[in-house]
Amino acid sequence: MAETTQNTDNNITTGGSGHLQVRLVTPDRVLLDATADAVELPAVGGYLEALYGAAPLLAELGAGEVRLHGGTSNEKKFFVAWGFVEVLPDRITILAETAIIPSEIDKAEAQEEINAGQKMWQEAGDNALQYDQANDLTRQGEEKLASAEGRSL
Amino acid sequence: MANVLDLRRRIRSVKNTRQITKAMKMVSAAKLRRAQERALQARPYAQMLTSVLESLVRRTDLYNGQTGEIVHPLLVEREEKNVLLLVIAGDKGFAGGFNSNIGKAAQKFFLERAAQGQNIDLEPIGKKAIGFYKKRFPAANYEKTEEHYDNDLSTHYETIRHRGAQIEVAAEHLDLLLRTEFGAVSKVANDIIARYTRAEIDSVYLVYNEFKSVIAQRVVVEKLLPIRKLGTHEITAAEEMTEEQKEAAARSAASEGISVFEPEETVMEQEAKKFGTADVDYIFDTPPEQIFEHLMPRYITTQIFHALLESVAAEHAARMTATDAATKNAGDLIDSLSLTMNRVRQAAITKEIIEIVSGAAAL
Repeated sequence: MAETTQNTDNNITTGGSGHLQVRLVTPDRVLLDATADAVELPAVGGYLEALYGAAPLLAELGAGEVRLHGGTSNEKKFFVAWGFVEVLPDRITILAETAIIPSEIDKAEAQEEINAGQKMWQEAGDNALQYDQANDLTRQGEEKLASAEGRSL
Repeated sequence: MANVLDLRRRIRSVKNTRQITKAMKMVSAAKLRRAQERALQARPYAQMLTSVLESLVRRTDLYNGQTGEIVHPLLVEREEKNVLLLVIAGDKGFAGGFNSNIGKAAQKFFLERAAQGQNIDLEPIGKKAIGFYKKRFPAANYEKTEEHYDNDLSTHYETIRHRGAQIEVAAEHLDLLLRTEFGAVSKVANDIIARYTRAEIDSVYLVYNEFKSVIAQRVVVEKLLPIRKLGTHEITAAEEMTEEQKEAAARSAASEGISVFEPEETVMEQEAKKFGTADVDYIFDTPPEQIFEHLMPRYITTQIFHALLESVAAEHAARMTATDAATKNAGDLIDSLSLTMNRVRQAAITKEIIEIVSGAAAL
């Protein structure tokens, strides 16, 4: 409890010795509650990294790895399939539908997802929505596999 | 009158039964504790999803400029002609009135609606409900059509529903209760959303046993779709517990050391309410409309997920109460049988003494 940012005046202090409070919440439970210096996030438009004092941001997360650096985070990594993040200057909260530690990923399952996605794509016909879903599923499988093999971007 | 040997056998049998019900009660209590914990841990996610959706509605232009309505297929209200009812019951019996109470509430709802001329689709979850409805109502008939054109380069798929009866079983879900995984619930929810979006159904209701604590439970009918107001449970009918039931539940909970009070809001839950609602101008890395669109189906999934978790807790609580009552009844039965047995034995002894005494007197 070293410091608290004052919300009354919207003065955001950047830099300093502050740590980000990072929380990772899944439908089942709060998976992680730690501090970190920096967090990498797999936003749908590409990876972004948030530091202490970042401007408030809302973003949707695609399939990829959430990586924490510094603080009490112990350099943890999580594979996230779909999620949503709120970045505040001193706090990052991630809502993730599934969050798995890369070493616990079932590679066969990931391969199955890729196959299912490709099959779905083949059968989509003229259904635009199904093409999107198929692409999402394939990408999810590919990212999962990449994360498991430690070659995620 | 039964002889001592028969009575002794009966007592032994009732004692065995009591052992079993006692063990069942302890197992149910342990499972209830776990289920309660799960339901509690699932709250922050649901709360955060709701907060951010509310916040998005407030701060972005999700409204249609001309009509002033939010543009999203899950908010569209139509006249209720085809109604979907999700019935969440249990996988096993021996839980007192748990399954039958849900059955009654569901029956009341859909017969009323059917009488108004609405078509009913039933979607039972849990073995008990599936077994019950499958025997009574026909399954829905779906036809998948394929249309090829452009020399087979393009194919158009469509699912057509042929309605044969007013009340049909649209789908059944067997494995949702045992482990209750979000992914599996998500599939069910997406299927329902697809049917709602293509206007096969005009509204979706949920019948389940709401569980706040052991003594604060009720069977409710909740409206799931269309969404009228985010973050609220639109209850259309509710069946409260009777005082007697509450007493029995409180008694069995006390004997297992389970609190009868609703768990207090955790710090995480309070913070969850603030998620995505800070008084700042957020930068949207993803367009808010897109975020809203992708969050809405998850909101529905969370609602169903939540109902399932509560229902599972309620089932264990009901089983705990029922088996506790059974254990108590077995105890009473053993007492009364022991009394009878002692009487019979005493009567036999007395009879023998009389015979000896009168035999001696006759000498």
